[in-house]
Parts: sequence; C-alpha cells; structure tokens
Amino acid sequence: MKTKHMVLLGLLTAGAAILHIVESWLPTPASAPGVKLGLANVVSLFALAFFGPREALYVLGARIVLGGLFSGAIAGPAVFLSISGGMTSLLVMALLNRWAQPPFSLIGVSVLGATAHNAAQVAAAAILVGSPGVLWYLPYAVLFAVPLGAVTGMTALFALAKLPQKSLS
Amino acid sequence: MRLTWADKIAIGLLLAFSLGGIVYSLYFMPVAGLKQAEISVDGRPYKTVLLRPGYKETFRIGGASQYNVIEADGARIRVLEADCPDQICVKTGWVRQAPQQIVCLPWRTVIRVTEAGQTDIDEIAR
Repeated sequence: MKTKHMVLLGLLTAGAAILHIVESWLPTPASAPGVKLGLANVVSLFALAFFGPREALYVLGARIVLGGLFSGAIAGPAVFLSISGGMTSLLVMALLNRWAQPPFSLIGVSVLGATAHNAAQVAAAAILVGSPGVLWYLPYAVLFAVPLGAVTGMTALFALAKLPQKSLS
Repeated sequence: MRLTWADKIAIGLLLAFSLGGIVYSLYFMPVAGLKQAEISVDGRPYKTVLLRPGYKETFRIGGASQYNVIEADGARIRVLEADCPDQICVKTGWVRQAPQQIVCLPWRTVIRVTEAGQTDIDEIAR
C-alpha cells in the first residue's frame, strides 16, 4: 500500500468516525426506531467507488470500532447494530458496484445499500430483543432508506467529481 | 448525475414494498400495537381492560354517589358519566394512545393507556 493511499484512507476513516459520532447525537424519530441518516455511509460508498471493496471494508471496520469507543459502549447493542447494518450494506454495495454498475448508477447502488443497512439493523434488533414484532418496523426502515440512500449516493458522486483523480497517484 | 432505468425500477419497487407493508401493517395491526387501559382507584389497581377491536364494555365504579361510568369501545376508552363537581374526566373524552390518561381527581380515579405487549425497543434503538 502506497503511503499516499494510506494517508487518504486514514483521512476517510477520521471523516467517517466523526460523521458516525455526530449522527449518534441526533435523536431518532420515535415512530421508526433504527432509522439513521447514514451520513457515515457516504464515506463507505466513496471508498468503495474510489478504491475498492477491501479499502471500504478497512474504513468501515475502523469507523465502527472508533464510533463504539467514543460512544463508550464498545460491546453494547449499538455496535452490534452498526456491524450488522454496515457489513450487510457494504456487501450489497460491493457486489452491485462490481457486477451491476452499468444498469445501476452509483445512486442506485447507494439506495440499495442503504436499504440493506436498515433492513439488517431491524433484523438485528429483532434478534437482540428476541421478538419478531420488531420486524413490523421494516417497511418504515425501507421507506426512510430510499431517499436517504439517494442523498448519500449523490453526495458521494459530487465528492468523486470534485476530487482530482491524480491525487491518488 | 442521472438516474438510470435500473435505479428507477429499484426505487419504485422499494417504495412500493414499504408503502404496501405500512398499509398492510396498519390494516392488520393487531398484536403489534395493542393498548390496555389500567384503571386505578385511590392508587390501587382496580381493573385492566384490553382495548381490542370490536370490544365494548360499560361499567360503573363507586357507590350511589361518587361514581364514574366508564365506557370502552374498541381501541378507545372514556368516562361516560360522573357526578364529580368539575366534570374534567368526562370532558377529557376518548383516549387511545399510550401516554394518554383520564384523571378524575375528586374521586381519585385514574385511567391510564399503556402498551399491552411491551417491546423494549427504545432501550436499544440508540
């Protein structure tokens, strides 16, 4: 890994961790628990598009650990939800980005990734509470994921367009 | 920055699924959001009524004077009639949502609406 590469990944990780922490300060709507803005997902998506799945996984993993550390509950349920949501989302986005980019744009990849993120979080919450009743929130989680995922995708596209490509080499 | 046809199909399907799911869950709400009314007199639990669709009951608390007539109808409950001086409990009207309550201060009757099946989502949703 080149030094420039590593520095850029470090910057991305720091940005993702900050977004993750700021997002945890925001209140969640009572009618739809588990719904988050997915700000940190911008960085995951950006890393995926700019570098690749492996680098995106590094950034995601470091971000979740840092976010857990800063929230003070590294082994708490929030981290469990972050991991299940983040990993599922990244897996879906990586597969789509690799194999289905021509039909989908980055916005579509992001929307499906956000949906996978929220769906996985609701499923994880249902497992955590041990009650399948939590799955009733799934439609709400998906409803919120679509516009938020679209915004995330557009943000990543803007960032990709503005960032000079030669800054990598 | 254009949405491709595949994007539009995916977004459309997801929205259709979620809206369909919400409509479905609202129609067949049952178990998810059942409420119950806890009625207490003088701070002691008197009766708990499960507020379920199609259920009707009218009952009377108290003696010949100092009474409340309580009416439960489906998912809602109210004080139909009372002989308390302020009539606040009667004027409160129907209640149906979880934190709502009806209080008859003179006769010390409290009707609280609570969730019938507690899912402690709030504790973990953070």
